[in-house]
Amino acid sequence: MKIIACYSNKGGVGKTATSVNLAYASAMSGKKTLLCDLDPQGASGFYFRVKPSRKLKKQAFFKDVDCFIGAIRESDFDNLDLLPANMSYRDFDIFLSRMKNSRSRLKKALKAVGNEYDVIILDCPPNISLLSENIFRVADKIIVPVIPTTLSERTLEQLYEFFGDKKYQRKKLLPFFSMVQRTKKLHKGTIVKLRKKYRNFLDKSIPFSTDIEKMGVHRAPVLTYARSRPAAKAYEDVWNAIQHKIKL
Amino acid sequence: MAPFVFTLSSGGGLKKIHRRLEVASSYDFEVTGGDIIDGIILDTFDNEIRRSGRCLLQISQTLLLINILNGEIVEQRCSNWSFLSELEKGPVAGSLKGVSRLRAFIPVSGIKIRRDRVLVLDDEGKTRVRIHWFSFFRKKKSLRLGITQPLRGYEHAHTELRKLLVEMHAEPCTRTTDIYSGLGVNSRNYSAKPDIRLVPEDAIKNSATAIICAYLDVAVQNEAGIMADYDTEFLHDYRVSFRKIRSVLSLFKGVYSAEQTEDLKREFADLMKQTNRLRDLDVYLLDRDDYFQLIPETSHEGLKIMFDVISKRRKEEYKKVCKIICRKNYRHLIQGWSELFASTDNMKIGPDALKSSNCYLARSITRRYRKVCKIARTIDHTTADEVVHELRIHCKKLRYLMEFASPLFSKKKVKTLIKSLKVLQDNLGKFNDYSVQQVSLGMFMSEQSMSRKKGMKVAESIGALTAMLYQLQCRERNFVMENFSHFDSEKTRGSFAEIFRVKDC
Repeated sequence: MKIIACYSNKGGVGKTATSVNLAYASAMSGKKTLLCDLDPQGASGFYFRVKPSRKLKKQAFFKDVDCFIGAIRESDFDNLDLLPANMSYRDFDIFLSRMKNSRSRLKKALKAVGNEYDVIILDCPPNISLLSENIFRVADKIIVPVIPTTLSERTLEQLYEFFGDKKYQRKKLLPFFSMVQRTKKLHKGTIVKLRKKYRNFLDKSIPFSTDIEKMGVHRAPVLTYARSRPAAKAYEDVWNAIQHKIKL
Repeated sequence: MAPFVFTLSSGGGLKKIHRRLEVASSYDFEVTGGDIIDGIILDTFDNEIRRSGRCLLQISQTLLLINILNGEIVEQRCSNWSFLSELEKGPVAGSLKGVSRLRAFIPVSGIKIRRDRVLVLDDEGKTRVRIHWFSFFRKKKSLRLGITQPLRGYEHAHTELRKLLVEMHAEPCTRTTDIYSGLGVNSRNYSAKPDIRLVPEDAIKNSATAIICAYLDVAVQNEAGIMADYDTEFLHDYRVSFRKIRSVLSLFKGVYSAEQTEDLKREFADLMKQTNRLRDLDVYLLDRDDYFQLIPETSHEGLKIMFDVISKRRKEEYKKVCKIICRKNYRHLIQGWSELFASTDNMKIGPDALKSSNCYLARSITRRYRKVCKIARTIDHTTADEVVHELRIHCKKLRYLMEFASPLFSKKKVKTLIKSLKVLQDNLGKFNDYSVQQVSLGMFMSEQSMSRKKGMKVAESIGALTAMLYQLQCRERNFVMENFSHFDSEKTRGSFAEIFRVKDC
């Protein structure tokens, strides 16, 4: 079982779209996949038409493994299950900080379902919190969508600094470019600059695309309704690159 | 949560059924309908698929395997195939793993099929349950099979749907025969090892006749398959049945009159002889890949020539056997035996005919077991091969006696004993096969005229092969003593004494 976290400390970078499409690509490649929607503002569940779980109360989450397992929903696609978000995760960080040994809870919960899945993808909230720190520890790889702009450059730098300060394994971070517009000079320049600075940047990137924006209309991964379009192809390429990196 | 596998004979068409379900629930039913197309139900002759609670259908170039017991449906593309080994890798081939690779898949019946897929959707358009409908049509009969597919996390919706279906008189389907009988398909009930009902206190002459009668029937059931040449197991089962009949005649001494026993033994032996060659050639061809693996690639050319000749010979022998089965005098012979063994009164009885079956067989088995042990204990590294062959024959006789007797004693315990004997028998069987193969390979060259160049190549391959077979034979021989020591253990001896001890004998 491999745990892949999709994380960014900046919002609006295409994190949920990435999680949804990579989870779908993983399932289509024959891997039994679980997508955990840990972002209360995220919409992974929405894209799969899965309603937020009423069962999954914050007190029970991670604490009661049975409850965690019971909240998993099968998607409409083969090999792909979903742990829907719950609005009460909002206070989750506070809850976690109060609990003893809270850092091992996430690991414990994921371990319980680990045998069932080949890949677990975590769609993470866009902040650095106790939950995120838990994720940094347990994930095998942390994929970071980066829009090639100056602001994103700054946030990525902060993330690397944070990893350095906390002595987390920096090699876990797998940044890749998201919402790329090749026509923009700034994008082009930033891509060249960042690739030089961070050697483990994935060489595949996701373009800015209306097909991705239409996910909200279709309520499905891009790969299902625009399979032959560049955006879908890009997600497949990114997934293949990740698979290669984590030796799946 | 397990899928619900059911048949639904009432309720009208699918449209009507879904409308009723929609009204009774809060869900929408999205149907992807199919056309009615021709298909074939396939199975092996001994019904491995049906017996395992599955149904295999070929629809044009697609294979569909439905597991009635757990609701699993798998499918894959296929081209011309008869044997599992000829099927490309895929979900159906994967699920059929474990089914005999020697058995051909043959049509059970032609049917018409319509397949519909249904998604049971909630108000968000999310699938909560899937339903697979199979509508089968054959002659004037039809049957609708439904399989629900619950989705993780939506168990409640599945329970609700199942309840509604039961209210609409859906009947749980638990056996493949439910489908067969619903469509009026005559299912074969073939078994190479028929269930023979014997009574322990009954006279042994009745038991012997019942066993012969049952195996005669098995042999006859295989005739059509031999003629159609579906697979080699038909001839194999046919020959084993006659071998068992001959064993009854020779092992059940004193049950029938000596004169009649001799006559029958000769008649059966004469018939068996005529199929010996075909079986030998079948075995060669079945082991073809193993032979190629035994010798280096440089010697493969000669082996290829040899197998081409064997294939040709096999065709000729097959024609001969078919002719025999078609002959009038063969039919008369079988008819005559069927009438003769239909009642014990037709048989001239011997001095032991009226002994009780359990006493007679218990004694025979005990005597035979002692004989096997006596011979086996004398075997060491210096013993002549003939003695090992003799041991093999006695083991075979013991095995048959135990198999015949198993309905009269504790079936389970006898089966365990047979299992322990089987290890030794397999070992001795291999020893014999390697030895026979060396002899027949030696004869191959003298029987076949071929050009000097070809002859050289074949001779080279046969030489290499014979050397390998000799090595293998020696290896098997070394295992005999070890395997026998397991069979001669105190525990096995105790089991024989316990199982085959009959009071008042």
